Parts: sequence; C-alpha cells; structure tokens
Amino acid sequence: MEVVDLDFRYENGYKVFQDINLKAEKGKFVAIVGPSGVGKSTLLRLLGAFLKPEKGQVLLHGKPVLRPTPLISMVHQSIVTFPWMTAEENVALSVKTRNLPKDRVKEISSHALEMVGLQGFNDLYPKEMSGGMRQRVAVARSLAAEPKILLMDEPFAHLDELTAEGLRQDIYNILFNEDSPLETVIMVSHNLTEVIELSDTVFILNGSPATIVAKVDIDIPRPRSPRDPAFDQMLDRLYSYLTKKEVKKQ
Amino acid sequence: MIPGAGVLLATSSPGTINGIPFLTITLAVLATSIRVLALILLSIISGWLLAYGAIKSKIFENVFISLIEIFESVPVITFFPVVLIIFVNRIGGELGVELAADFLVFTAVVWNIWMGEYQAFKTVPNEMVEVANNYDYGFLDRMSMIYIPFSIPRIAANLFPSVSDGFFYITVSEVFSIGLTTYATFGIGTEISALLAESNYYGILTAFIIMGLVIVVIILGLRSFSERAVARYTVDTDMPIMRRGKPRIRQTARLSAVASLNTLGKLAKYNRERRPQKDPEELFSTNPRNGKGNIIIGIIALAILVYIVYSAVELIMSVSASEWGYLFSKTPYLLYGLLLDYIRVLSITAVSLVLALTLGYYFATRRRVEKFGIPIIQTISAYPVPAYFPFIFLGIYPFVDSIFGPYTEESLVLLLGFLATFYYVFYGFWMGVKAMPAEYNEIMRNLDMGFFRKMRYVILPSTFPYLIAGITSTVNSAWGGLEIGEYWPNIAGGKTLQVHAGLMKTIDLATSSGNIALAAWGSFLFAMIVAVYSIIFTRKMMDLAKKKYVAEEGIYSV
Repeated sequence: MEVVDLDFRYENGYKVFQDINLKAEKGKFVAIVGPSGVGKSTLLRLLGAFLKPEKGQVLLHGKPVLRPTPLISMVHQSIVTFPWMTAEENVALSVKTRNLPKDRVKEISSHALEMVGLQGFNDLYPKEMSGGMRQRVAVARSLAAEPKILLMDEPFAHLDELTAEGLRQDIYNILFNEDSPLETVIMVSHNLTEVIELSDTVFILNGSPATIVAKVDIDIPRPRSPRDPAFDQMLDRLYSYLTKKEVKKQ
Repeated sequence: MIPGAGVLLATSSPGTINGIPFLTITLAVLATSIRVLALILLSIISGWLLAYGAIKSKIFENVFISLIEIFESVPVITFFPVVLIIFVNRIGGELGVELAADFLVFTAVVWNIWMGEYQAFKTVPNEMVEVANNYDYGFLDRMSMIYIPFSIPRIAANLFPSVSDGFFYITVSEVFSIGLTTYATFGIGTEISALLAESNYYGILTAFIIMGLVIVVIILGLRSFSERAVARYTVDTDMPIMRRGKPRIRQTARLSAVASLNTLGKLAKYNRERRPQKDPEELFSTNPRNGKGNIIIGIIALAILVYIVYSAVELIMSVSASEWGYLFSKTPYLLYGLLLDYIRVLSITAVSLVLALTLGYYFATRRRVEKFGIPIIQTISAYPVPAYFPFIFLGIYPFVDSIFGPYTEESLVLLLGFLATFYYVFYGFWMGVKAMPAEYNEIMRNLDMGFFRKMRYVILPSTFPYLIAGITSTVNSAWGGLEIGEYWPNIAGGKTLQVHAGLMKTIDLATSSGNIALAAWGSFLFAMIVAVYSIIFTRKMMDLAKKKYVAEEGIYSV
C-alpha cells in the first residue's frame, strides 16, 4: 500500500495533512505514531477510503483505492461487536458478503475464531465476554474477510494492561500466520512501547498541518522485550522524534 | 367534530376584509398557541414537583410511574367521556368548556414531559446530590440549582412532540358536541370549523397561512431553546459505556440535542427502561427530611387514590341495572368495531413502517437531503392534520372514488390516520440510524454490504428499540386519527366521512347523540384493551430491545 502526496482538510476548513507520503511494504507490520490530536485515526480512515482526500491518493497494488473495501479491513479503537450476534455470527458477518454456502461460512468463521484463540467460544454473546475476547472477535471478523491490508486504530487502547499485553504477544503471530492472506498491517498508536514491540516500520506524524516527519525501521529480533537495552534506545529515539519541534526526514 | 359551532365567532367580527376575518383568525391562532404553550408550561412545572415527589417517596414513585405508563399508552380520546362528565356536566358554562378543552390538550402533552423530568431527576449524578447534601440545600435550592437545570435538556427533547400533539387535538378539544348541544371555546380549531361551515375557503387558507407562520416561529424557538439547553445544561456523566471523544447519544442528556429537533420525545420510553433506576438520594437516607417527605407524599398519593376509587364506585353505582344491561348487550358490537379498528391501525402502521425504513434511511444517510428534509417534515408534522384534511378530502375524493369505489371513505380514513401518525415511526427510525455507533457504519462500508444485508444484520437490530418506541407512538396516534376520521359529519362539500363500522365511529356517534354512557363504556373497553396490549406486546418488545438490541453495548471502551 502506498500513499502519494495526500492532503486532507476537515469540513470546517482546518487543514489536517499536507503532502503525506508513505509506503507500507508486504509482510511488514507498520505503525503510525504522533502526538495526540495530530490526526492519526483520520489518516487511517483515509487509508481505508472512509474519507476522501483533498489531494493525492491511496494506492493498493498500484491501483487507487476509491471506496471502502473488504480488502482493506479496519479494527477500531473502540472494540466493535454486534451485541445481538454470537461470536461466530459476528465473524460470519464479514464472510456472508462473499455469498458462500452456509456450511462454508460457518467453517471460515470457526476457523477465524480458532486463529484468534477463541475456539469453543463460538456461541457466546459479546456481553458474556471480556474486553480482550471481544477485541479478538473483532480481529477475527476482520481476518475472515481475507483482507490484504489490516488497519488497526489503537487496538489495545481500551484493554487493561495485562489483557493488552497478552493480546499484543499473540497478535503478530495471529496476523502473519501461514493461513492468512494478509500482506500488511498498519497500526495507529500513541503507545510507543507497543509500537516497538510489534512494528517493523514506524512512520512519525507531526506538525500542523501534519506530515510524515520520519520513518524508522525497527530491526530488534522478536520476541521483543522492553527490558532489552536496544528496546530502550529505540524508545528514546522515537520519543525524541515526537518531541522535537522540527525534525529532518531520516 | 361538529363544524358550525363557531359560526357566531366567524361572522361580523371586526377586522374583516373581503369576507376574511383576519383579526379573528389571528387572535384565534394566538389563543390556541397560548393555550398549547401555557399547558405545556403547566405540565413542566407540575412535572418538577411530581418528579421530586417520586424521587423522595418510593410509594409515590410506584403509583406515579405506573399511572403515567398506562395513561401514556392510552390515546387522548379515551379521556373524552371523563371530560364530558366532569367539566361539561358538573362545572358547565364557558369555564367548563374551556377547562374541557384545556384538559384534553393537557392529556395530549403532559406524559412525555412528566416522564422526561422524572428520568432527569432520577439520573442526577451522585456528585451533585453530594454537593447539595454537603451544603445542606433545602427544597428550593435543590430544585433551582440542581434538579431543574439538570432536567432542562430532557424537557427540550420532549417539547417538540408535545407541541405537535397539542396542536393535533385542537380540533377535537376546542369544539365538540353532545346531542344537539355544541360546545366551543375560542381558538383556531373552532374558527376553522366555523369557516368550513360557511364554506369560506379563503378564510381557511388565511387561517392556515397564519397558523403556519406561528408554527414555524414556535419550531424555530424550540430549536433555539434546545440548542441553548444542551449547550448550557448538559452534563457529562459517568456512564457504563463511553466512547472517548464522542458522546453516547442515547445514554447522555445529549440525546436531547437530536431528540429536541424532532417528534421523538416518545422514544425516551426506551431509554428510561434500560436505565438503572438507582436513586442517588437513597445514599443519604439518614437525612431526617427524607422520612418526613416520604410520609407526606405517601399520604397525598393515598388520598388521590382513594378519591379516584370513590369516584369510580360512585359512577358505577349511579348507572342503573337496565343501563348496564344495555351496555353489555352492545359489548360484542363494540368489540367487533375494535377489531376492525385494530386492523386499520395495523395497516396504517405497516405503511408507515415501510416508508420509514426507506425514506428514513435515505434521509439519515444523505446529509444534504436531511438538512432540508427534516425541518420541512418537522413543520408539517406540527401542522394539525384535522385542520387541513378537509381540503385533501375535497381535492382527492373524485380520484380516490374512481379507484377504490365503495372503499373510498375507508381509504380516506386510513389516509387521515397515516398523515396523523407517520412521523413517529419515521423519526424513530431516522433517529435510530443517526444514533447508531459510527463504527457500525464504517464496518458496513468496509464489508461492502448491500441495502438488505445492512438492514437485516445491522440497521434493523441497531434501531430496534427506536422502532418499537416509534411504532408504539404511531399506533397510539393512529387511534386519534381514527377517532376524528371514522365519523366526520360535513367534512367538506356537504359530505360526511364515515366508515361502515368501527369502535371510534360508535364512540363518536354516541357522543354526538348524547349517549354518554355508551361512549364511556366503549372508551373504557378500549382503554382496557389498549393497556393490556401495551403490557403484553409493547413491554415485551421493549424488554427484548433492552436485553438484546442495545447498539451501544457493541462498543467496548474504558
């Protein structure tokens, strides 16, 4: 996925982005970080074509993305499930759009739940689940749509620290397992620790109107531990990018 | 409705130009508007006191809420015989007629407002009550500094439907007849009836224009008031499910911001049922004032109950055995009429629902259309249908007759019912779609779902509570439409609009022929069945809605 010369302004005329350029490569977990209010979630919605840019374009495999598509699937910051559907039905929602036979829909949905570690919980309703389980359902629903790109908007923000840590440890393997057709994950977060723990590449968004001020590749071997000195150094580096008033592109 | 009641009011009045009594019409519009607004004000003030009583006394609360729930589900027309007996027969004179009209309008506007205030009082944040206790506020301080300001957004939310309902019942409340006697009180309902009887169509057109202007001014005023109310009095409270940065529309008082712009106050019904009814003041039961207040309010409630029971027994005893025999013999026919009316109501509701699901969705998803369409529909919905329906009748009768033949009048009555009631389910659905979590919209777009798939899996379940509340309001209001339409003598062009059979027609005929006992018995049977329907169907649906179809529960955040 590639973003080329993207500008965007809100309806009230406020210009949010100017000349956003970024490239998310295949097989990479990409993070977008930036100060609060800089427009991280807005950028994610532009990538998913939920919003239309003022200028520039979002390309998937070289073709412009003009409207939302199951090929680019979104996991929201607020954990979204449908309370009138069981876990399996929630996941099946994204499979039904492919007009498959009922058995196949059930099979894919069950498999997606299994992938996120919720085998045996198919018949539970969201209100019978913890926040972590619900977010796993939301991830399973996105994965069941068989997207090429997964957009995650602060996916751990509404989980308690222990649950978030558990899900963070699982998520990379869930997303990039051999059964998944997923090519790239793009996550927005303000939590630098989780960004370093998960990402291969980090784009730093800053300024007003905001633009990409730096791109940082993280090559710390996985699994990554915050106790690792390299982890700490990376944390300092990202922090400095976020706090500097003017930053040159790397 | 008996036009002709106000003939004397319309003719030879000063300010008449080319046969159009401008001055009388203007004064009549103002009188009606002031009547509706004053009664709303009375509802608001009495509601504050009753709501405070309800949060102070469990006994009073139980009686108060149960009665509101029953009365709210019973259409205004059920009160008609009561009005005739108490105000017209017992009080009599001009005062009796004026009070009768006021009482009918009052019963049309009051329940939403009272319930909204009660809900507001019950959900005042604990912290505010703590402050009040901390500084030992008395009754007036608590009311003026905490409870009344906190209730303002909810009142704003309920004003619009109350104004609409109030205007709707003008024509049946300002002028009515019993037997050969016609009772009328000054107002635009009476004036239009008089102009109709004179076939003064330019006068009626003038009345519509002046009334339209006043309605637009009232709507603009309500909009402005609701905007100010939300901006000034809305409090962010600790709700179980809150999305960061965005208010949970149905759970915060910000609901008022949306609700106040449409006829959806009745939908608060849903909201109230799922609210945990925990009284913050219960935490402070050591306050000796609470105990004393409870006893006093309990005694008042008991006294009212005893009076009601005594009046009912007195009324029953006053009816002779032969009269009872006559009423019982009529019961099968009344029930047959009720069955026919239920079929009519269901037909009206079904058409309203289909239109709501299509047009409502179209409006909710197209911002430009919505921006202009909603205010237009708001204005039209506040326009009393009985005032303009004779013209529709006159205009389309030949056309409808050529299509429906012997079912022409039946079709026109259904049309009247539809026009009177369509808005509730329309707004219910529209507001449900607007209140749907934004994330659901994104998921539907993300999964590229088609219209029917969206409806089936996401939109209908999400809007289910709103739809149920909207349908309930539509059903209730449809009865009002039928009451007016099933027997409307001299509606226009010398014609009488009537169906071949129906309970509402029987009640209308009984009232106009002075057979109050039959009208009261029919109304009583009707009220009982509607109340049972409400308990069995509406509440079950509401329970289902609150257990399963709460869209906000789909958004988990800390």
